[in-house]
Amino acid sequence: MMLGEYFNKMKGTSKSPPAVSLSEIGWSWIGAFLGIAAVAYFNYNRLEDTDLVMIIGSFGASAVLIYGAIKSPLAQPRNLIGGHVFSAIIGVACYQLLNGQMWLASSVAVATAIAFMHATKTLHPPGGATALIAVIGSDKIHNLGYLYAFVPVGLGAVIMLVVALLVNNISRNRRYPEFWI
Amino acid sequence: MSKHSDNKKFSYNMEISDKDIYEAMKDIPGYLDITTGDFKELYRLTYRHALKRIEESIKASDIMTGEVVSVNRETPLKEVAKLMAEQGVSGVPVIEDDRRVAGVISEKDFLSRMGAGNTKTFMGVVSKCLKGKGCVALSIRAKKAEDIMISPAITVSEETTLLDIINLLKERKINRVPVVDQEGCLIGIISREDIVEAPLSGGL
Repeated sequence: MMLGEYFNKMKGTSKSPPAVSLSEIGWSWIGAFLGIAAVAYFNYNRLEDTDLVMIIGSFGASAVLIYGAIKSPLAQPRNLIGGHVFSAIIGVACYQLLNGQMWLASSVAVATAIAFMHATKTLHPPGGATALIAVIGSDKIHNLGYLYAFVPVGLGAVIMLVVALLVNNISRNRRYPEFWI
Repeated sequence: MSKHSDNKKFSYNMEISDKDIYEAMKDIPGYLDITTGDFKELYRLTYRHALKRIEESIKASDIMTGEVVSVNRETPLKEVAKLMAEQGVSGVPVIEDDRRVAGVISEKDFLSRMGAGNTKTFMGVVSKCLKGKGCVALSIRAKKAEDIMISPAITVSEETTLLDIINLLKERKINRVPVVDQEGCLIGIISREDIVEAPLSGGL
């Protein structure tokens, strides 16, 4: 490839999509509030004195998609659940096999999670964070072992999905999901 | 009047602008995580698939002319010429007694034997006439259809798709193709004009 052509690609060819309406912004806020409230409530008020957690950072990213960009293929149930659970398993495996070299465990976890999500048509960007958290997370996370993939990851994703189904179908202009499988 | 230029003009009319897409995206409530560029690319490819699907769904039997003007091997060329002139066609199939297609005669086959040489055009004949060598058709006056027909004929079946027919006409540089049944017997003919009038051009 010519060098000029290569740098030319960095200019971009299209423009930013239009802004959404006020009602869309409002429904995104309500969905995200209820979805995160549900998992956070369990985490802080029910599991406080246990070894379990219910909320991880990547759920914040999932909330953007499943309450804020609900038409996106990345936000559909298949991607939400599949992306989180697969990535969690990959993350735990990478930590357990490679924890002597944390830089390597981190990078292999995220890169493999993306490749696996692509291959299984479950690409969900927060999955990359879920895999990374399995490696760089607290001792509490590390001690969960493969349970991490089910609680908090799997169960948390399901709770947020239920909220998405309930909230995203209230508005006349909204419909969720686009597809299940 | 070629099919190709028709298509070009047609797809040009279907051109959509980034502004059209942007306005359409505003009409859809909710966030679409695609850019106008994504949509344009998708639209272009989708449109191509749709054209292909339509071209494949239309069969020879849908667009052929069923009542074919045809001649026999033994028909004298002066009668072939008269028939073509009267019927206003630029080519006729030559058929055997059992209606199997033996060949095709077109204006070009006359022209090439009337001094047009390789140009096979009317002006080639005019040019030769103006050089004062008498009636250029005399040389073929006594001949029969089978003497100048192109044989074996290129034919298609009733099930051949419009897409294949278009490609066949383009590749073989012919203007019409007889449609035959399983025994090779003539049941229709498709000319370039038939294709221009096919549902594809008017219906979309």
